[in-house]
Amino acid sequence: MHYSKYYPVDVVNGEGTRCTLFVSGCVHQCKGCYNQSTWSLTAGQLFTEQLEQQIIDDLNDQRIVKQGLTLSGGDPLHPANVDQVLALLKRVKRECEGKDIWMWTGYLLAELNVKQKQVIELVDVLIDGKFEKDLADPSLAWRGSSNQVIHYL
Amino acid sequence: MKPVVIKRDGSQVPFDGSRIKAAISKAALVIKDNKIQPDLIVKEVSKSLSMLEEVDIHHIQDAVEASLMKNGHIELARIYIEYRHDRDIARERKSQLNHEINGLIEQSNASLLNENANKDGKVIPTQRDLLAGIIAKHYAKSYMLPREVVQAHDRGEIHYHDLDYAPFFPMFNCMLIDIKGMFTQGFKMGNAEIEEPKSISTATAVTAQIIAQVASHIYGGTTINAIDTILAPYVTKSFEKHLLTAKQWGIEDAHAYATQQTEIECYNAFQSLEYEVNTLHTANGQTPFVTFGFGLGVDWQSRLIQRAILKNRIAGLGKNRKTAIFPKLVFAIKDGINLKEDDQNYDIKQLALRCASKRMYPDILNYDKVVEVTGSFKTPMGCRSFLDRYQQTSVTDDGEIDSELIHDGRGNLGVVSINLPRIALQAKGEQKVFDELLAERLHLLKKALDTRIERLSDVKASVAPILYMEGACGVRLKADDCVADVFKHGRASISLGYIGLHETVNALFGHDQHIFDNEVKQQKSQQILQVLKQAVQDWSTQSGYAFSLYSTPSENLCDRFCRLDTKEFGVISGVTDKGYYTNSFHLDVEKSVNPYDKIDFEMVYPAISNGGFICYGEYPNMQHNLKALENVWDYSYNRVPYYGTNTPIDECYECGFTGEFDCTSKGFVCPSCGNSDPEKVAVTRRVCGYLGSPDARPFNQGKQEEVKRRVKHL
Repeated sequence: MHYSKYYPVDVVNGEGTRCTLFVSGCVHQCKGCYNQSTWSLTAGQLFTEQLEQQIIDDLNDQRIVKQGLTLSGGDPLHPANVDQVLALLKRVKRECEGKDIWMWTGYLLAELNVKQKQVIELVDVLIDGKFEKDLADPSLAWRGSSNQVIHYL
Repeated sequence: MKPVVIKRDGSQVPFDGSRIKAAISKAALVIKDNKIQPDLIVKEVSKSLSMLEEVDIHHIQDAVEASLMKNGHIELARIYIEYRHDRDIARERKSQLNHEINGLIEQSNASLLNENANKDGKVIPTQRDLLAGIIAKHYAKSYMLPREVVQAHDRGEIHYHDLDYAPFFPMFNCMLIDIKGMFTQGFKMGNAEIEEPKSISTATAVTAQIIAQVASHIYGGTTINAIDTILAPYVTKSFEKHLLTAKQWGIEDAHAYATQQTEIECYNAFQSLEYEVNTLHTANGQTPFVTFGFGLGVDWQSRLIQRAILKNRIAGLGKNRKTAIFPKLVFAIKDGINLKEDDQNYDIKQLALRCASKRMYPDILNYDKVVEVTGSFKTPMGCRSFLDRYQQTSVTDDGEIDSELIHDGRGNLGVVSINLPRIALQAKGEQKVFDELLAERLHLLKKALDTRIERLSDVKASVAPILYMEGACGVRLKADDCVADVFKHGRASISLGYIGLHETVNALFGHDQHIFDNEVKQQKSQQILQVLKQAVQDWSTQSGYAFSLYSTPSENLCDRFCRLDTKEFGVISGVTDKGYYTNSFHLDVEKSVNPYDKIDFEMVYPAISNGGFICYGEYPNMQHNLKALENVWDYSYNRVPYYGTNTPIDECYECGFTGEFDCTSKGFVCPSCGNSDPEKVAVTRRVCGYLGSPDARPFNQGKQEEVKRRVKHL
């Protein structure tokens, strides 16, 4: 898996203070996407074990306390990303007590395949649906367009 | 043949040797030289000029100097040259005076008109104030201040702040008004005798009047320390009044009725106060710099006031719901009162967070840290000037000595700032030279500050009745009493200011590595501040006045010092190349770090410069994520005393965009539709410790450049 950007301290993508990972690879290619550079599966850098360890460490940091981890992209539920995302989330749930997981995906919750559903079982808040330019509204919390839904799972 | 003399104003007069004779004789008198024969010099000069048809004054003076030197009157020549130099400067100032007045009339002097973001140089009363300022400054520089102080100011080695007011006028800088004393003891204002208010709405109305009066008599910020607890008794009075009404009219649930009416009255009272403060125009031609401190009161009355202040601010001003620029709100946070979830005022902290995310204010005061750093808890005067601890002793009726810790009624006598980067540039990287120059300059700076004390030493209370006779300063002097004691023994502070610690360290130790990433540089910067701190401590011990070290916000100064230094030393990478100097000890605005790391970087400095400080973080829109904002506030609690969060709250009335406008060299532009019409946008930025609307009144160039370069810390 590739990732485009990792923010060890983030306040824009989900509630509270978070660690946020933008993975690479997205098939939805929504018009007006603010992150076009992340569409390609090989955009950015290779997601290494080292980075995975850093995420775990950042989440457990006692100085800058995090509420949890956010996965966005690209699409963390892109078939090519699912395995590694699942592995990461399992580690977070195992090693980072009390941290929640937020995720943004272009897929719809109701239409996920078995593997994707395995990932979602570990997610606390999912924002699903494509970005619809005509329904865009910058005043929305956590959503780009009003068709998207925040699922508190 | 005698030449024609062209005078400086262009008029022509015949050459007159007796004028030279008079000048030389005057100079001779100074050094008691009776050997000189002025006629001889006059003859020689006349001869040297006789071939010319016309000659200007400069030329004649050069000839006199040459003749004096040639005839061995070296000392006399020196005096003559010095006198000439002084006259030249006086003359130059006179023409400078005309030039500045002209700039005001023609509205062409941008630096004068934009010097203070809080003054609208287009309106008549402000122009009157600016004109008074031009002349007061001119007079003070020409006739009141020591020559070396004026020269150092003009060269940009030091900055004598607020020359347009003091020392010409015997004014001081900023203060905490003793509202409680004024209310409980009554006072006179204009033609009216004011008794203690009998309701919260009267109390806020009178408060606005007091602010207007006080702000007209001082030139810096006016603060009401703990407005919630000070005005709480008047909420009680309102309640009692409403309760009485309920009983008179036989209202069944009288208590509920009175509670509701009191809540409404309190909200409306603070709404009026908010509008009053923002529409006031003081005699200084500006909206007064007002700060309200609040947050520690836990009784229901104080809580009601706290909520009223925050809710009004959140609501905004006018039909566009514009962000109020004044008063500056400073919310106190204390463990056990409102810091943690089970504290009784935690709900108000949540409201404060919401308010800060939408309106930038309140900034927060972390109680324990303020006490640790400044000796006791108090709200800053104006935007960031902090008083030290002060015990007022008095003898009671029983003849016992009573000692009380007081803050209200105290003030700051003013600031003179030192140009640290200049010293570093002059030292050319030599620490030893830097130390010597710094010592020299501090000596001069003390001299400058002493003029502020002297100016107020024999002033009578009647120059500012509201301050000295009616209780704003916490005293009730008689008209002919001298005010000097109000400032002595540490009751008032007087401040050494500084800016550009960042550039100073770069100039001294190079800028290959950023100070943020270099511990040695950080230690060096602290050592420099310690030298300043030591100086003010020594001065305090020697004089009995509370000299303090103040982190100058430098709305105007960031531009001025850098401009003058660029002229003298050129564009120097890491020092003068940005077009502004960094605010006090602050982390360079271009350095991209998260707010937690920024707090860690800056947290050591307030304790050293505890006469004035504030730390900031630059944030994205946080309106949907108050939890994250609270995380940073909580992080700051044990680290920095005074913290502000800058968030993008600009609005475009054309397309409805809210967020952050693009800051360009030409002004502020809506990123969504390109609109930059000041009538149809609301742009709000932190200028110094205060907010400003740079769309309506542009910043100076240096400040605009600095704002342009600010990076988000998240």
